[in-house]
Amino acid sequence: MSDAAPTPPQPQPDAYTQPFWDACQRQSLEAARCEDCGHCFLPPGPCCPQCWSAELSVCPLSGRGRVYSFGIYRRSYHPGLPAPYVVALVELEEGPRLVSNVVGCMPEDVRIDMPLRVRFEASGEFVLPRFEPAEEEGARR
Amino acid sequence: MSRRAVIAGVGHTAFGKLPERTSWDLEVEAARAAVADACMSPSEIDGLLTDPGPVQGVLDGITPHFLRLGAQLGLNPNYTGSEILGGAGSVAIVERAALAVEAGLCDACLCVYGDSALSAGSAYTYGRGDESAFGFFGAVGLHALAAQRHIHTYGTRPEHFGEVVVAARAHGVRTPHAQKRRAISMDDYLVSDPVVEPLRRLDCCLVSDGAAAVLVTTEERAADLPCPAISLLGHAQAHSLSTYASPDHFESLPAAHCGPKALAQAGITASDIDVAMLYDCFTIVVLLQLEDYGFCKKGESGSFVEGGRIGPGGTLPVNPSGGLLAEGYGGGMLHVIEAVRQLRGDAGARQVPDAELALVSGHGLGMNTHATLVLGRNV
Ligand SMILES: [Zn+2]
Repeated sequence: MSDAAPTPPQPQPDAYTQPFWDACQRQSLEAARCEDCGHCFLPPGPCCPQCWSAELSVCPLSGRGRVYSFGIYRRSYHPGLPAPYVVALVELEEGPRLVSNVVGCMPEDVRIDMPLRVRFEASGEFVLPRFEPAEEEGARR
Repeated sequence: MSRRAVIAGVGHTAFGKLPERTSWDLEVEAARAAVADACMSPSEIDGLLTDPGPVQGVLDGITPHFLRLGAQLGLNPNYTGSEILGGAGSVAIVERAALAVEAGLCDACLCVYGDSALSAGSAYTYGRGDESAFGFFGAVGLHALAAQRHIHTYGTRPEHFGEVVVAARAHGVRTPHAQKRRAISMDDYLVSDPVVEPLRRLDCCLVSDGAAAVLVTTEERAADLPCPAISLLGHAQAHSLSTYASPDHFESLPAAHCGPKALAQAGITASDIDVAMLYDCFTIVVLLQLEDYGFCKKGESGSFVEGGRIGPGGTLPVNPSGGLLAEGYGGGMLHVIEAVRQLRGDAGARQVPDAELALVSGHGLGMNTHATLVLGRNV
């Protein structure tokens, strides 16, 4: 007998995004960096979306950012993800934006521009980069 | 005169839950209605463009949508195809039909939207790739990000969103074929269940089974027809494909780029528009378009819609047929059809007096695609 909650939807890594998810397993957040123009971007892909260069390397991320915008899900779309929960578009201090969750506070307390820091949480076979409220001085703009 | 493109016929099915009908059966009915409305013959149709709608666009990967409908209609056209632009698809195929007719690729191009999204279910609750791992589902979750930004930046209040759907439902009362014909109050809106805050159930458009079609031909051919032809005075598209990487993706729509182009092509400004047929999948999209098309200043759409300004009898009637929020989900093709009816003076109890110029928009996918038409009475 098992009352375990159903596994939430899992990421579907491809050749370009696999390193991102591997880094999350190591509790580390990283983006792609263009060797030609320096652009730091997510999700990683075959070329730099700013200059189309294919000379790419890894851009380590601090895990600090802020809420660019968010929504509070009041209905559940998947049995493994009970409502309420917050989906936020997180603007990382290095520039890229990332869809994630804000955890560690009441949904009603989330605000645009709220400083955040990454908090890695397991979900099925994956480790997801979620975010929690951070001290103001910790989130440099 | 001659090869200038005009809209000569429009037609649609009932909209709502039609589980006994298939989408292609509905599309055939709409196609026949549009050709009959134009008083033209099926044998004249030598172009077919289709917008497969949300369900078919995702699922029907083997037989292209235009092929299934073209086979049903026995067509061997000179020009065909399907456009997958989400909610901008229907407006875009009418534009493409006009370009094809004007270029001489075909003489009479049928543009058809159809879907059975209500009976098929779940078309709008899809996950967004890896983001579904974070519970980011549905078009509503994405548009909630835009609504939250608007509230944060401009102080937009729930009542401002409410005005949009209260107006739409008031329009729907005057539309015999509307899926929702009961008016709602602001209180009804304010107590509507939250789905993804700040958006409530009533901020979201209807889901429908139904089909709608528009027939585009040359001005020369239309001159012999009994119905007044409607001219395409301006058209443009603009798209924002970078989504999260684009700095203002959730604050401004591509309408800010293609709107002025289409209006300038028609030789007019937003203040000349008599009827605005604005794609209204969510109330926030109407507010953003009022700003991005220049009906009001950026950030002022909330106060602009106060006092029923976009409702029946308002100074800028928006979607007098009720739009996606009341008439039914017609993919944008019902917006084109209502503009034609208003410009013909053929809109019954909801007729906007002396309507001469209409703007029609389509908006789709993750706020990525946008298409604009400016239509006018052919004088
Ligand atoms: Zn680059």
